[in-house]
Amino acid sequence: MTGVLAHGVGSRSDLPIPLFYAYAGAFAALVVSFLALGLLWADSRFRGESAGRVLPVRPPAKVLRIITAVLGAYTLGWLILGPEEGNAAPYLVYVVFWVGLVPASLLFGPVWRLLNPFRLLPDRPRRPLPPRLGHWPAAAGLLVFTWMELVSPEPAAGVTLLLFALLYGGAQLTGTLVYGHAWLERGDPFEVYSTLAGHLAPLGRRADGTVVLRNPFDGLDAIQPAPGLVATVCVLLGSTGYDGFSGAPVWVDALQSGPLGRTGLGTIGLVTAIGVVLLLYVACIGLAGLIGGARDLAPRFAHSLVPIAVGYLIAHYFSLLVIEGQRVAIMTLRLPGEVDQEIVSPATIATVQVGAIVLGHVAGVVAAHDRSVRLLAPARAVAGQIPLFMLMICYTLGGLTLLFAA
Amino acid sequence: MLGCAWVVLVGCGPLSTTHHNPGSSHEVATTSPTAVSGEVRVAITIARGEVSPPSGWVEIKKGAAVALTVTSDVADEVHVHGYDVEADLPAGQATTLRFTADQSGVFEVETHENKLVLTQLAVK
Repeated sequence: MTGVLAHGVGSRSDLPIPLFYAYAGAFAALVVSFLALGLLWADSRFRGESAGRVLPVRPPAKVLRIITAVLGAYTLGWLILGPEEGNAAPYLVYVVFWVGLVPASLLFGPVWRLLNPFRLLPDRPRRPLPPRLGHWPAAAGLLVFTWMELVSPEPAAGVTLLLFALLYGGAQLTGTLVYGHAWLERGDPFEVYSTLAGHLAPLGRRADGTVVLRNPFDGLDAIQPAPGLVATVCVLLGSTGYDGFSGAPVWVDALQSGPLGRTGLGTIGLVTAIGVVLLLYVACIGLAGLIGGARDLAPRFAHSLVPIAVGYLIAHYFSLLVIEGQRVAIMTLRLPGEVDQEIVSPATIATVQVGAIVLGHVAGVVAAHDRSVRLLAPARAVAGQIPLFMLMICYTLGGLTLLFAA
Repeated sequence: MLGCAWVVLVGCGPLSTTHHNPGSSHEVATTSPTAVSGEVRVAITIARGEVSPPSGWVEIKKGAAVALTVTSDVADEVHVHGYDVEADLPAGQATTLRFTADQSGVFEVETHENKLVLTQLAVK
């Protein structure tokens, strides 16, 4: 495997979406935003944690975690003992685990919490998790993972993946031994990633572990503001944005002919993309607070970026999942046959991409609207939302531009 | 669909107006009906780690025959991703890869040793 390609693995990338799709998506996003501003409810409706119908289900967590531990060991086995060419490990990590966690979480809620093998360790905290730590370790972990996937010189090489496994495993083991399972809930990058996406699932999980069937907007509303939450969401959004940009010929050319070298310039590009997403967010939220007469809003609107980030993730990884997912099955189960790269047509891919970006935008707008009418002064709630909508329109048009132009 | 037509008419790769590959016979393919069955020719030279013309984007109609000629000043190996067409590149000697672009998508053409992206083939 040579790994200059984005996504760590995969041998193709998507064609740019046709201009018509880009315009249709942008138009839909704009219309929905302004309709929302004028027509949506004036009093907050979403009830977060307390919403939903309780389902009498108790998933067999221990069995599932043992199965994940075995699958983890199997992946490590491929990494250590597998051949250099045709190794299934990078596909298991980047396709099944990283990309697969998104649809799994969207369907079944916070699945990595349920599957996390580190939760087999005893929950005996030696000291309480410092509240100020929040999601910062998860944000850092996601940054390292996306750097490995999108920037590192050999994202699919065994050494790279082993080093990451060592770092990840070491951090989770140490964190759990010191802070108990509270660490995993806030510090495990994949648990935070899966839990955030899982808040959009109809199958929700309350803080006390009860499984509920609920409106995804109530689920989204149940995301608790915490230090580092904004950073975590911005890492997801910014890194996916960088992924979209990194294949553009101008950037490829700059990467391989610039004086900084591929990794140096790639790192700058990734960090800049995340920084731009974060700056836009902080600036627009600040403006919303000024207009709406409220302070310290940044963590309390971060939940509205989650559907936008998920829309970006689906748009960028959909074809990888359906095409390279076949390769995983062929390699691990030793199936005959070859990967059908034409299993989905370019038109289907473009439709899914634009649909995901626009749906993410709509969900973000609705979530932000409900939070605005709850937190901002009633007379100024509509005006206060304008900067938030401008922010989301920036993200959405940015996302569509990347799909169209890169 | 309108967008499709627009892109084909304008006939340039996204973000790549300055990187249009002179070796591509793309213009011929869109103007002359007899040239549709003709080969798309792409020629790329690598010297001192620099790709010329600079790494860009070549649009190819699905089903077209592609002839990719690569000359490198050091011995290397060239690989067309997705199609898994590979060839050795002896130093200083032009090597031509021929294949039919029968899968849609964007595919990188890359060298193994130098890890240079020579161009990207956008097959649609």
